[in-house]
Amino acid sequence: MLVLDPREVQLAKFADLHMRQAIGTDVAVLNGMMNIIIEEGLYDKEFVEKRTENFEQLKEVVRQYPPNVVEKISGISTVFLKKAARMYAKADKAMIVYAMGITQHTTGVDNVKSCANLAMLTGHLGRPAVGVNPLRGQNNVQGACDMGGLPNVYSGYQPVIDPAVKKKFEEAWNVEGLDDKVGLTITDMMTAAQKGDLKALYIMGENPLMSDPDASHIEQALSNLDFLVVQDIFLSETARKADVVLPAASFAEKDGTYTNTERRVQLASAAVSPPGQARPDWQIICEMSKLAGYPMPYQSPADVLKEINALTPSYAGITLKRLVGGYGLQWPCPNEDHPGTPVLHQGKFSKGLGTFMPCEFKPPAEMPDEEYNFMLTTGRVYYQYHTGTMSRRVSILEREAPEALLEINPEDAKQIGIRNNDKVEVTSRRGSVILKAQLTERVPPKVVFSTFHFSESCINLLTNPACDPVAKIPEYKGCAVKIRRCV
Amino acid sequence: MKTLAKKDIRQALRLWAEKQDVLCPVKTEQGDCIFGTFSEEAFTLDYQKPPLSPKSVLFPQAEIIFDVKNHQYREVIQAKKVLIFGLRACDLMGLRQASHFMMRDREDVYYQAKQNLTSTVVMACPQAQNETCFCTTMRSGPAAGKGFDLQLYDMGEEFLIEVGSTRGGELLLGLPCGEVDDAAAAKQVKAFQQKAIKSVKEVPAVRSAMKKLEDRKVSEEDWNDFGAKCIACGGCSFVCPTCTCFNVYDQPVSSGNGLRLRAWDACLYGGFTREASGHNPRPNQALRLKRRHEHKLLDYHREDIQDGLCGCVGCGRCSDYCPVHIGTLEVVQAIAEK
Repeated sequence: MLVLDPREVQLAKFADLHMRQAIGTDVAVLNGMMNIIIEEGLYDKEFVEKRTENFEQLKEVVRQYPPNVVEKISGISTVFLKKAARMYAKADKAMIVYAMGITQHTTGVDNVKSCANLAMLTGHLGRPAVGVNPLRGQNNVQGACDMGGLPNVYSGYQPVIDPAVKKKFEEAWNVEGLDDKVGLTITDMMTAAQKGDLKALYIMGENPLMSDPDASHIEQALSNLDFLVVQDIFLSETARKADVVLPAASFAEKDGTYTNTERRVQLASAAVSPPGQARPDWQIICEMSKLAGYPMPYQSPADVLKEINALTPSYAGITLKRLVGGYGLQWPCPNEDHPGTPVLHQGKFSKGLGTFMPCEFKPPAEMPDEEYNFMLTTGRVYYQYHTGTMSRRVSILEREAPEALLEINPEDAKQIGIRNNDKVEVTSRRGSVILKAQLTERVPPKVVFSTFHFSESCINLLTNPACDPVAKIPEYKGCAVKIRRCV
Repeated sequence: MKTLAKKDIRQALRLWAEKQDVLCPVKTEQGDCIFGTFSEEAFTLDYQKPPLSPKSVLFPQAEIIFDVKNHQYREVIQAKKVLIFGLRACDLMGLRQASHFMMRDREDVYYQAKQNLTSTVVMACPQAQNETCFCTTMRSGPAAGKGFDLQLYDMGEEFLIEVGSTRGGELLLGLPCGEVDDAAAAKQVKAFQQKAIKSVKEVPAVRSAMKKLEDRKVSEEDWNDFGAKCIACGGCSFVCPTCTCFNVYDQPVSSGNGLRLRAWDACLYGGFTREASGHNPRPNQALRLKRRHEHKLLDYHREDIQDGLCGCVGCGRCSDYCPVHIGTLEVVQAIAEK
């Protein structure tokens, strides 16, 4: 196991090799590995020749990333980089598994493309136990995206701008004039709200006041709305600002399906009844729709699934009957006789040839300088979940992780006179937060780490709202801060 | 010895349910069998080993112990009459050990109030319920020796009923019980038990692991393999019939108003032993696992063990549910083989 992470995360203890790159230098490291793999002839020539295109361009770009250059950018030694490249390329089966460390950068898309380039170069794709595997932060991120919870697509990634798709949904729903323009991403919405271009927002199961970057900007944006509706299972920080709060049922109180990171659709059943006036989300949406003059015909999640089957080609064969009593089905599953697709891209990529999309290294949007001389990176701890709306209500979890800590390397701490558990003020160009310092070598020198779980020290007051230009994901993983001991 | 026709068991449950809450094996809509409130539709006799022991009847997952109003606190002791029907012998041993522990040096009033109002009707196991059952090794089953109000033996058409207490005898009043000759019944019970005992596998590794732990032949390093695997979910403690550790915490509502509660805890969490300074005498997962298993297999208080072998009753649930396969069975096996 090869771990690439600036921090000494728990997993690093189990790794055969742990490489600690400088924050935001993933493209350089991955290009460096590809440089070595090509240089030493370790790439899968047959795979590259038969299944891919654009190899020459890839070669051209990664040629500029020999180990000594990569070492200068990322801090990873030539010896380690070579070892890593050989480990990955020579393995019979190798899978890349990544999470937010790859995506939450202004170069998030480039990082993902570089992972794909590396997998294609070595032929670690289209077989069992290989591939590029993004781990999700929640059990149904995949399902929410599959169902069109995105500004540009209907379910199954059918584009809203496609006239044929528009017509299909208009006919199915018996309406005219469905919007054929791409909508706003979350980050765009907040900017639009702040400017006054966006008047109303209906938020379901999300707590942007805690989870979005530059929280004071989010506060202004939400305050600037004419109308805010929040649907959640607890009164979150965001829900407190709402004009109307709709109490929703929790996972244990509703029926339906979840789709996990391997595209497996699984059935879930209610174990207990929702308390008070809480109801499942689908019922709330149906009631809202009825009040708005468009009654929806669904009587149960099973009815909704029937419509999903009818309108979503990749889900067409994933019917209730087949999900009952089984271990779920993996899409694409185009009809009821189809067994589902555990491995994508077998024999052929869905687009035909796999295109190498080489990327140049770009540094994070905000680098430390003389004044803001530390790099802050954010993440989670084991015992808390996201913005804490659920986990912070559990006494045992609160005991395990009751407050935000600032991980700081002992060397740095010594230099600025900070002792373990001292209160420190961390300041970025966007805000200040006071929290306790934890001296630990989990973070390298000049890098500090904290979590976004705690409203008492809302770390997203500090983070940089600079986004990836394509995916619009903010750069939570790196921004410049300064640190002062509180007296 | 008394008997009750199987067809009359629902009548018994209905009668008991008039005077108390009756918890019994019920089938959920999803097909799981758990201990739940008696209802005609959900009640079933076709069950094995419910996923959770009935310990929460006496020791709820979370319970209010103080209510604070206007800076004045009031102790809250909650209890109601409950009858647990159909618990297995291993779970009864779990209740007996836990009860003794909770009362030994200082009475736990919250536990005791519930215990005073709880009746138990044990269903003796006709055979091992799954491959992780090891009650015979732990001397907790397949039938209970004592400590129950009633114990039923399923003889096909009827139950033979062993009365274990005065309260048990009273439970039978008003039921259409039959009577069989004691000597004949004793024979039948013996045959039932022998057949059941044969079907439960003996786990000699338990005793050799206990011996090795006693002789201090298990080094701290030996626990590292387990420590590396453990994901600190605490599930083993929550399903364990004899785990009774709890955490006390406050839920403030406003200034001078709020609640104090206690809730299940687990020694596998870092915070269980972490001190205010941040120092932790059990600083890693290996040492926490060592403590947990040594407590069950080596250090359990002599008086709390009752008629069992140690602080584990052999229900096998930790082995059933541990996501990374380090339940008691796996641990004793690994220690025995070292």
